[in-house]
Amino acid sequence: MKKRNLYVLELIIGIIIISIAGILINNLIINLIRTNMGLSYSWLMQPAGFAISEYLIPFKPSDNYSFALIVGWINSLRVIVFGLILSTFLGLFAGISMTSKNLILSNIAKLYIGLIRQVPLLIQLMFWYFVVFLGLSEKPHDFLWSLGNISNKGFQLLGIKLSVEYCALLIGLSVYSGASIAEVIRGGIKSVSQGQWEAFRSLGLTETIGLRRVIIPQALPAIVPGITSQYLNLAKNSTLAIAIGYADIYAISDTTITQTGRAIEGFSILLISFLLLNLVISKAMERVNTAVNHYKK
Amino acid sequence: MKKLETISRYIKRNFASSKLDLTINTFLLFIIWSFLVKIIYWIRFNAEWDIVTKNFPLYLFGSYPKAELWRPTLWISVIITLIIVTLSCPRKNNYTKLLPIIWILIVPLGIFLLAGGIGITPVASTDWGGITLTLCLTLSSGLLSLPLGILLAIGRQSNLFAIRKFCKLYIEFMRAMPLIAVLFFGQLLIPIFLPMGLEINRVMRAVLAFSLFTASYIAEDIRGGLQAIPNTQNEAAAALGLDSIQTFQLIIMPQAIKISLPALTNQAIGLLQNTSLMSILGLVEIFGISRSLLANPNFIGKYLEGYVWLACIYWLICTLMALLSKNLESKLNTDNI
Amino acid sequence: MIKLYLTGLMSLTLMLSGCASLENDKRSRLDLIKTRDKLICGVSGKIPGFSFLKSDGSYQGIDIEICKALAAAFLGSPNKVQYRPLTAPERFTAIKTGEIDVLSRNTTFNLSRDSIGGNGLTFAPVVFYDGQGLMVKSNSKITRIEQLNDANICVGSGTTTEQNLNDAFEEKKINYKPIKYQDLNQVVAGYLQGRCKAMTSDRSQLAAARTGFKNPNRHIILNDVLSKEPLAPASIGGDQKLADAVRWVIYSLITAEELDINKANIDKKIKLATEDKSKTSLRRLLGIDPGLGQKIGLSDDFFVNIIKSTGNYGDIYNKHLGKDSNLPIPRGLNNLYSKDGLHIAPPMK
Repeated sequence: MKKRNLYVLELIIGIIIISIAGILINNLIINLIRTNMGLSYSWLMQPAGFAISEYLIPFKPSDNYSFALIVGWINSLRVIVFGLILSTFLGLFAGISMTSKNLILSNIAKLYIGLIRQVPLLIQLMFWYFVVFLGLSEKPHDFLWSLGNISNKGFQLLGIKLSVEYCALLIGLSVYSGASIAEVIRGGIKSVSQGQWEAFRSLGLTETIGLRRVIIPQALPAIVPGITSQYLNLAKNSTLAIAIGYADIYAISDTTITQTGRAIEGFSILLISFLLLNLVISKAMERVNTAVNHYKK
Repeated sequence: MKKLETISRYIKRNFASSKLDLTINTFLLFIIWSFLVKIIYWIRFNAEWDIVTKNFPLYLFGSYPKAELWRPTLWISVIITLIIVTLSCPRKNNYTKLLPIIWILIVPLGIFLLAGGIGITPVASTDWGGITLTLCLTLSSGLLSLPLGILLAIGRQSNLFAIRKFCKLYIEFMRAMPLIAVLFFGQLLIPIFLPMGLEINRVMRAVLAFSLFTASYIAEDIRGGLQAIPNTQNEAAAALGLDSIQTFQLIIMPQAIKISLPALTNQAIGLLQNTSLMSILGLVEIFGISRSLLANPNFIGKYLEGYVWLACIYWLICTLMALLSKNLESKLNTDNI
Repeated sequence: MIKLYLTGLMSLTLMLSGCASLENDKRSRLDLIKTRDKLICGVSGKIPGFSFLKSDGSYQGIDIEICKALAAAFLGSPNKVQYRPLTAPERFTAIKTGEIDVLSRNTTFNLSRDSIGGNGLTFAPVVFYDGQGLMVKSNSKITRIEQLNDANICVGSGTTTEQNLNDAFEEKKINYKPIKYQDLNQVVAGYLQGRCKAMTSDRSQLAAARTGFKNPNRHIILNDVLSKEPLAPASIGGDQKLADAVRWVIYSLITAEELDINKANIDKKIKLATEDKSKTSLRRLLGIDPGLGQKIGLSDDFFVNIIKSTGNYGDIYNKHLGKDSNLPIPRGLNNLYSKDGLHIAPPMK
């Protein structure tokens, strides 16, 4: 095609996209006028009027909506950060176990992955919360020589208190993402040629050291991109907290939207915050990726 | 005697090659054993399955009108037959080529059967439910999102600035969003963007939201497939005198889809699992049904039974889907005839 | 190039949005319901006594009966209803966007929801007077709200329940921790499994939930009432025709109980009124003499249709919440004004 034709085509497509957007915005404005809503963000400064069950920074119902949303964000981040750590360990362990020569270990790992990945996360979360954690006894049960205790109210270790909602969400998410990460890690390990295994064995290194020093570093460039998308999934999946009563950003946005009736405004805040979160995780992982690839050279 | 020796050697090699292995294995076996005992005991003595047995039709069809139950039944039986035919069908056969077309036709057939209209009584989408609705959501969203995803993948590699930017923006935006937020948008906010009087029903809005979401993931998978195809293919096609559109349609795209097939299967399985999220937003698909049932005074507290039963159903359907895709993969595999 | 596009996009979008014309659709929703020959009724589907899914796939409860009465009055048959199960957060959006015609989902009638500056709905008369209460386990020895200091309390999110809980506890300076769930059955699960010392909801719902427990008598509902909860159906604001029709259908149910007209004796009453020309008000009510129905955009026999399909208010109450149900809640405030309750219908003249 000639260059001029290309420009014409491009212009046409541009106009189509613009007109679709225009029609949608047009409808939005009509509907907002019709229902006397308009767009406004002033409600962000009004008192929220609802309490939040857990928070890292003190929150009272008389604080405003924007503060409630921040509290929700911190709660989300708390789950996401620890979920990333826990699922990585779990995935690493299960992924390596799958490549292990120990038949029982590798089959258990396969069973874990086969089972977890074929059942929706929502059901798993409900299971962890309603069956496992709420099924614990009401009386605190001590462990580790009374350093901590666990009951169906929460988990406590050395003065750190975690609610059961948090525990269920954290464990549910980590177990679910762990299975996907394990698959990624197994794929990465498989991508390292068999010769490398034979090489370190012939050097007399043990399996553990060989894995850690020889195989994993070479598998990392293949693993990191896969893990990045699993991390992003974990962050996005944390919004399912709403189903088990954990006050994360989505749950608080939901309550806010119901109470204020400001669906578009509340939703837009949610969107922007997730775009930011996504950006942060992918940028961080990009750095890891360059570091890993640098190491390879 | 010799046999015993081989067995013992086999055990030694695979389960007890070192002291560490032996301890780990004994420990694992102990855990497996105690779990098994607990599970069997629970199934045998504690579990009460009336939440499942008494509500079987609900799980299958939701509150679909009694007189019209033959319609979802027919649809599900057609799907099951098709699965069996696909799995058992030999690889090289003239009918094999028809299978994908029949699979595509399943969706309009299902919607026609469920919704009614020409000739049969219309049934409102609010009455759809259970597995029927789960399947309907999955299949129609899948069918809609695949072409959408392919278009996005092509658009993202386009030479045209506007298209390329738009597709890239769309894909990255969608992939940053949690699904529940997209579905929330679909259920509550799409109506605000529609002109007064135009109404898309809830099931279709869910399908739309699922398709828009899944398409962005499919686009990335297809793009991966496209990138895996060496440039020599392009050159070879050019040498044969094919123009760029023909090359893309006949040479590049089929290969790209074939390469991304495992990834696409994962998307399909993910889609099926994700339909369970609609229960949070008030559709009574199979998970929504069991949440409603758990509010019924007769079944309050039967969480474990309800969830185990659901997990089994999802597991079964997902495994079937994986099997189908493996089967499809081997049928498409032309590398070693 | 990018700038060009962006400016182009902006200007075109603005131009198109400028064309946003406000065509006010003057047609009432009631006419739409009639052309469609189906009433779309938003319900919960998860609350015993009000609306819940039975094993055969049908819905049952007082909220459902209201939908049936409306369909009988509007369309002549109680079966011309489509039920749309809605979660608490989505119910108002659903009515605003026109996805449902009427909301009959134990919704509390209050100023913000009924006003144009608030949620923009129009409420029909109250069908159930409720109050928010707290349920605790009897072995916890709690009898007063003050004893719940520092307790976990299970509550459904996105509802007035949550706000009332906060207001009541704040006023009495009692500390508490809300454990919020999406719907009532999860609240019940959390409470039963001991996550919370108490659960809060409307007292009728507490009573309803309790009947499903293994040992209902091990749970008590505290006498403290946290709030008044008049539950009423609602329709979209600014549509007087529909609002009038809904309002008088509810009043018909109450009027029928006041006049002691029910499913069983309606035919006798009709026969009586047809024969006796002196019973003018009854004749008008039953549609033998025309006039009443037309004024609210319905057929003249709307009253008869309602009673024939659902019975009067008392019948509905007894069947789903009262003495014939499995969660007998005393009528109390929900009795007729003549029996020390709050239900009264203005004259249907």
